[in-house]
Amino acid sequence: MTVIEINKQLIKKFPDEMIKTIKDDGNELYVEINSDKIREFSGYINQEMGYSLIAMFANDETPLIGKYAIYYVFADRVSGVLLTVKTAIEPQQMTFKSIARKVHAAARYEREIKDLFGLNPVGHPNPKRLVFHSNWPRDTFPLRKAYDLKQQPEFANEKINFTKVISEGVYEIPVGPVHAGIIEPGHFRFSVAGEPIINLEAQLYFVHKGIEKMCEGESIEKGLFVAERISGDESFTNSYSYCQAIEKIAGVKIPERAEYIRVIFAELERLTSHLGDLGGICLDVAYGFAAYQFRMMRGWVYAIADELCGMRFLRGVNRLGGVRKDFVAGKEASLIGQLKKIRSELEETETIIKSNSLFIDRVENTGILSARIAADLNAVGPPARAVGIGWDVRKSFPNSAYNQLIFAIPEHYNGDVNCRMNVKIEECYQAIDLMLAAIDSMPGGSIREAIITVKPYQFAFGITEAPRGENIHWVMTGENNTIYRYKIRTPSFCNWPVLCHAVKGNLVPDFPLINKSFNLSYAGNDL
Amino acid sequence: MFNTIKKIIKYPNLTQNYPRIPLPVLPKTGKPVIDMEKCTGCGECLRRCPSQAIVRDEKTDALGINLDTCVFCTLCEEICPAGAIEMTNQIELAENLRTELRSSTLVVKEDQEIAMPYEAICDKLVKQIGKTFGRSLNIREVDAGSCNGCDYEINALNNPFNDVERLGMHFVASPRHADMLLVTGTASRNMQLALIKTYNATPDPKLVVAVGACACSGGIFRDSYATSNGIDGIVPVDVYIPGCPPRPQAILYGILKAIEKG
Repeated sequence: MTVIEINKQLIKKFPDEMIKTIKDDGNELYVEINSDKIREFSGYINQEMGYSLIAMFANDETPLIGKYAIYYVFADRVSGVLLTVKTAIEPQQMTFKSIARKVHAAARYEREIKDLFGLNPVGHPNPKRLVFHSNWPRDTFPLRKAYDLKQQPEFANEKINFTKVISEGVYEIPVGPVHAGIIEPGHFRFSVAGEPIINLEAQLYFVHKGIEKMCEGESIEKGLFVAERISGDESFTNSYSYCQAIEKIAGVKIPERAEYIRVIFAELERLTSHLGDLGGICLDVAYGFAAYQFRMMRGWVYAIADELCGMRFLRGVNRLGGVRKDFVAGKEASLIGQLKKIRSELEETETIIKSNSLFIDRVENTGILSARIAADLNAVGPPARAVGIGWDVRKSFPNSAYNQLIFAIPEHYNGDVNCRMNVKIEECYQAIDLMLAAIDSMPGGSIREAIITVKPYQFAFGITEAPRGENIHWVMTGENNTIYRYKIRTPSFCNWPVLCHAVKGNLVPDFPLINKSFNLSYAGNDL
Repeated sequence: MFNTIKKIIKYPNLTQNYPRIPLPVLPKTGKPVIDMEKCTGCGECLRRCPSQAIVRDEKTDALGINLDTCVFCTLCEEICPAGAIEMTNQIELAENLRTELRSSTLVVKEDQEIAMPYEAICDKLVKQIGKTFGRSLNIREVDAGSCNGCDYEINALNNPFNDVERLGMHFVASPRHADMLLVTGTASRNMQLALIKTYNATPDPKLVVAVGACACSGGIFRDSYATSNGIDGIVPVDVYIPGCPPRPQAILYGILKAIEKG
């Protein structure tokens, strides 16, 4: 359906609740509705129309309209439309109706809004604190405009309660935040009976840095550099999403060559990330040889990145309105050669690991994720594609370059570590093929359409397919080319609760393996 | 099995013999340098630097770069109207004192250049490890609020290209087994207690190395409600390794520096 058709349908169904259509351009539709009717409205969109809730965030608009606003973002992935429902909350009210019982994916977003804005979700099934731990005072809400970024409140001292499973022989294993491996911090509380895990509760947000608040009032140029540093191994895709949002606001269409260069770097990042995950999966089952093969290939990909842009983590590639330099020009031959070498090495390694029955025995039927849970919680990226939810931003919301390139989304249905691994292996080949195709069909021309000024109080989404899945950024501009509100929703935010479901019934020693097959970013979730 | 053996024979040794053999020529994304002869002092870089690493000296009015805060984004090189800023390929920037990384008037001090050849450093390193920690150095990594870039680079120290185990360095699972803490990130509010506990759990004598701009100074994430400006406000630091993220070899160089001190 087109944006106009969706709007007509909503007006027909809810003639009284729809307050107004705020904006309908391209693939984004914004409607404002009466906040009392949000449950019916979101239920209809989610269950009847079949759109997933892909993001939800609040915005302190008291300096503008004297009210808080909550945005519910639904995606029609078939026709590539983002439907955003806005509700206004009066400052004296400070509560909103929870939709979490109807739309399960909303549960975590509502807890996030409660912590950061102090807006209470009424009727939330589990309104436990999410972002702040026991050290943060309960009456302080940093994302309100009145809160000064530099203000650091006194450390409070509360106790954190975890879900308790009580029965004979059930015990708890606390793990983290400092883990045994070289990974990011997070606390896991396993409830275990014998070997199988009954329940896992993940306490995250140890690396919460206040990125969203930090960007408010800063120039749109600085926002780009912060976006690059949201999650180290997703530097490129995060800056890509941010640039898309700003470019949409500025009404700039970036040169086609720049689109192709971005495709090459996005796929390079995917290849790096997936090779790392595959190495990790092998290492976690103590298959050292295969792990070193993948690490070696990953090293080769880093060498390509180094050669192209001088940064192993693809930072400083994107600029607002294009890319910094023509990184690919003159390096095509060397790039093609290296990619082909990686492809053949990967093929040979795949044959070796897949003919190892001991290895397959460990990964097959381990960490099975049910398709129902994945759909309900809006799982994204390779974990979703491994249970047959085959959405990919590159197909649903393509930019001009991905439109021109041919590729297929991997299809797997069992939802175990093996399927996730296969999705990643197939996407590695695909990434290499896409890069080769992009180099082949890349047009010449300029690489950047400079963006100097943007209009105040405009907003837009940037949406890309990160290695971990769908990555959405929403930017609202302020006066003098600054950022008024920057909402980041990385794929890790969606997939963390999904992981907690996937490990149930598995052995504790399989947790690292299942975790690695998801490979979620803590920094991307915690912000 | 046959294929596995074939592969092992095909790639017998990928390890770069750093620091015994100097690095190949790296891309110019290392230390930024201001050419004071070209600099007009217009302050464009000062205004636009995303991590506010560029400062103006109040007495001399000259611009300088605080490397502990720099995120090596190359923006200053790109936007300088006079073309006075240039990125160099120098990545061996670790220092024992944070003031050594900070600039008041000029960016580079001559005495910051490495005076010793790499062969000598490597020999000395092996001796120092032997002297201080009885042949091996056990390292515990703590992510105290990074973006995970630095952690991936520390991870890369274990890959076939760097393989720090050849130098007698091991990454261990518990701080109880560690001689050195490699800390990344800004020491976010929620990680401060964990960082202090990890530090206290590490037996003496111990070394602490701050890896990356965030751990050195807070980097681009300075002055937020949930971060602190560098980990040295929480635990004592022996060596600061600037970079965003520092390359594996830069981290290795910093570890060497720490052992020299220890």
